Amino acid sequence: MDLNATPRLAPGCRLHPTEPVLLVPEGTLNLAGPARDILTQLDGKQDVAAIVDQLLRQYAGAGRGELTGDVLNLLNRLEQRGLVRA
Amino acid sequence: MVTTAALSSSFKPFSLIAEVTHRCPLHCLYCSNPLELQRTEQELTTADWVRVFEQAAQLGMLHVHLTGGEPLARKDLPQLIGAARAAGLYVNMITSGIGLSAERLATLVDAGLEHLQLSFQDIDEASANHIAGSRVHALKLALVPILKRFPLAFTVNLVVHRMNLDRLGAFIALAEELAPDRLEIAHVQYYGWALKNRSLLMPTQEQVDRSIPIVEAAKARLKGKIHLEAVFPDYYANFPKACVGGWGRQMMLIDPTGQAMPCHAAAVIPGLRFDSVREHDLAWLWRDSPAFNRFRGDGWMPETCLACPRKERDFGGCRCQAFLLTGDDEAIDPVCGFSPHHSLLQTLRAATPELLPVWRDSSVSRT
Repeated sequence: MDLNATPRLAPGCRLHPTEPVLLVPEGTLNLAGPARDILTQLDGKQDVAAIVDQLLRQYAGAGRGELTGDVLNLLNRLEQRGLVRA
Repeated sequence: MVTTAALSSSFKPFSLIAEVTHRCPLHCLYCSNPLELQRTEQELTTADWVRVFEQAAQLGMLHVHLTGGEPLARKDLPQLIGAARAAGLYVNMITSGIGLSAERLATLVDAGLEHLQLSFQDIDEASANHIAGSRVHALKLALVPILKRFPLAFTVNLVVHRMNLDRLGAFIALAEELAPDRLEIAHVQYYGWALKNRSLLMPTQEQVDRSIPIVEAAKARLKGKIHLEAVFPDYYANFPKACVGGWGRQMMLIDPTGQAMPCHAAAVIPGLRFDSVREHDLAWLWRDSPAFNRFRGDGWMPETCLACPRKERDFGGCRCQAFLLTGDDEAIDPVCGFSPHHSLLQTLRAATPELLPVWRDSSVSRT
């Protein structure tokens, strides 16, 4: 996955409406730190660069480079598990 | 020693297994349903299940697994799915797919179904149908392209045992062609009908040893494409499994008549009485019902387990298995190398199969 990818949650995966938890087939992933805010942005249309822009507005003071790395790291890990699709 | 009163309030259940019916068009040799199947006229009503799902969500449960029997045998399945989803639960259905058309599936997905699990019995049609006790293999294969049109997570479950474990490589290749999101390789667990057929189903040590590198290779090959989970049979281990995540620690099962149980097999334990959702709410059943507190904590454990640090990991293993193999529900799980009965398992896996399979009784599925 790179900055031009337009990720979305895989079928059968969704964010819990109130808890910081991703509901997935046969399990749950506890979302630490900004992970929930990142996943909330996924709609299959917005690319990763736009997601980072959005998060930079939300987390004033965060560095673009570091945040981009965090976002790609999370999305790639979830893609490997089949929970996010590019 | 930890008291059960202190414990029952500290455990939060994650998932609800809703056995909505015991009716089923299949008669699998390895079925984990109890030998005494519950009859249709005793099944909970739609309103009962709606109340159960609401209470489950209030208790903090996140997932509901609709199973049976065959959940499709219930005409009110769309209402059940809708109620579970409206309550906030993640809705999974474990099905044979028999009776599922594109139209019916559309109704279920619209109602809120999120994940569907379909099991396969073998690669070859004759053998698969023999194991399922009905001609269903071709129907299951035909259903897969229909499933894939829907926004649904799809798991293929390969149920393995002595009769098909030698074909595991080809079995995984078949599953790969079906291209599910998830693939589960599940060894038969010896309860219910599977226990009756144990000598036919239990693989030899050599079969299990040969299967391990096949699973490992498939995991590596499928990484990033299909998420593979393999459940190995604990009969071949030296330490027991933390059965159902520990008795009364993570999950609750409601049987078709409303009995709340800590696991699928708990009814085999003599003297254990199960309270019903018809008389009690789930919070009481979870915290206070005698069945859920029976093996919580370590008060029941034999000396060997009490002194063992692994009790924090396996919570004393499986109580049903201990009873079924030793006749004592408080015995050390015989899977454990410290059990005086551990050699029993070596005898069992060396045993020559009996010749006649026993399919689950079909009489209750006629309504």
